Amino acid sequence: MRELFFYDSMCAVGLPLTGGTAATTPDELHKEMDRYGIDKALVRHINLPNINAELSNEIVAEFVGNDHSGRIRGVWCILPEQCEELPKPDLLFRRMGESGIAALTLAPFSHRWIPCRLTIGRIMDAAAERHIPVLLDNFTGRWQELYAFLKEFPRNITMIQDRSKHGPDRLIRPLLEAYENLHYVISCHWVPEGIRDLAERYGAERLLYGSNYPIFSQGSMMLSLKQSGLPMDEIRKISGKNLENLLNGAQL
Amino acid sequence: MSIWEEHPLARRFWKEGRADFPIYDMHGHMGSLNTIHLARAEADQMVAHMRRIGVKHLVFSHHHALFEPSFRNVRAWEICRNHPDILRMYVAINPHYPDHIREDLALFDSWKPFAVGLKLLPDYHQVPLNDRRYEYALRFAAERKLPVLSHTWGGSSCNGYPQLAEVIHKYPGLIFFIAHALFGDWEGAERLVRESAGNVYLELTALPGERGLLERLTASVGSERLLYGTDLPWFDEYQVVGGVLSADITEQDMRNIFYANVERLLGRDW
Ligand SMILES: [Zn+2]
Repeated sequence: MRELFFYDSMCAVGLPLTGGTAATTPDELHKEMDRYGIDKALVRHINLPNINAELSNEIVAEFVGNDHSGRIRGVWCILPEQCEELPKPDLLFRRMGESGIAALTLAPFSHRWIPCRLTIGRIMDAAAERHIPVLLDNFTGRWQELYAFLKEFPRNITMIQDRSKHGPDRLIRPLLEAYENLHYVISCHWVPEGIRDLAERYGAERLLYGSNYPIFSQGSMMLSLKQSGLPMDEIRKISGKNLENLLNGAQL
Repeated sequence: MSIWEEHPLARRFWKEGRADFPIYDMHGHMGSLNTIHLARAEADQMVAHMRRIGVKHLVFSHHHALFEPSFRNVRAWEICRNHPDILRMYVAINPHYPDHIREDLALFDSWKPFAVGLKLLPDYHQVPLNDRRYEYALRFAAERKLPVLSHTWGGSSCNGYPQLAEVIHKYPGLIFFIAHALFGDWEGAERLVRESAGNVYLELTALPGERGLLERLTASVGSERLLYGTDLPWFDEYQVVGGVLSADITEQDMRNIFYANVERLLGRDW
């Protein structure tokens, strides 16, 4: 048995719109995961910003449905409630549970709407009530919007990441300090010994391993976490336990 | 089994945190920077981090020498003297200060063995690499066969493919390290290596971890042309080493990247 359980929190699958490669079947993803010793993955659709939510959700459900190993769970995208493009929260959450979908995301900037209480207040409150995690992957690099969003929805369990390779401590530390339900995915936290610094300051519970596959290799951050200098039980939390707990805590 | 259990080098770094060979980090900096909170930017902190993973030498250009003209290269040399076994330096060249360039290069030999080459930063100094204001420094390096590490980026008008191609062609004696391997313009980077007389190397800072990239460059130009670098104190040595180990390339390719290419070029004792 491997010494660490890894759960990839930031993983996109499907045929990329602008070319390149990513897993299009669970088997392809398993192969990649096995190469690096990743046990489980939470997957989004790679073209989400460029296609509508209902199509993306359908493709993710199909992908997860084709996985018979129990290693893969999916993420669905939400839209403003007023256009009634998706079912009401109760029904949506039930369908998520039935389809192996464990978290939500949103792509307001490409789906052309404003991420705030007016547009998604009811569904975000319902998600907070039922502890359903919300990935803010589409806010990556949009710090003003991210700050405003978190101020509106402090009760929700949220996950953010950075992709710039420029150490983002000045941007993420105030958020980690202010919002206890916020989790930071370390996929691009390449800061020397920076994982340990964040864990010591805000608690290892706030950090999640995530690869940002297929942009980054799933192996990219694994050694950095293993050799972070943190005690093994904290490394274990970051590598997979935290995400497993978050997803298991969702009432779907 | 995963690479961390199966692959001999990956297993070693995973279990012990270091290997039994040296790592030469050919692209580093030091000191604070305007755009990033760098918690470990001073020499003692950087050296402690590098010792954990077994970096034998870091060749760095000080951030302040690059961005604040009143901070002269001599101060980087003084820092090297406090860590003589591990730190080596590139002399930072700012083309807007020809007097500084001449004064510093006149001291170059007295700064040995710590000074090993020159560092250029065309995008940030806003002077194209093929501008005549670099000529003195480039000639100096070419005559002495010193490595020159230049910042590069795909599509840049100061250090993109055309400026690099011109300079590499003009100074065939130069040992040219293409920092960031012309990030994004991989075809351009491959052409620069192929069209050179064996004196051009792609330095990998910011690449390891990008999926499929080291596989591509290894296949196209050969791992003999690739150099390990981290931009330390920007990037964690373990992330960069982990990125190399994660690539689907051979053990010899990895050894070339970590140390063998540099030892072929500069020897083991420098
Ligand atoms: Zn640099």
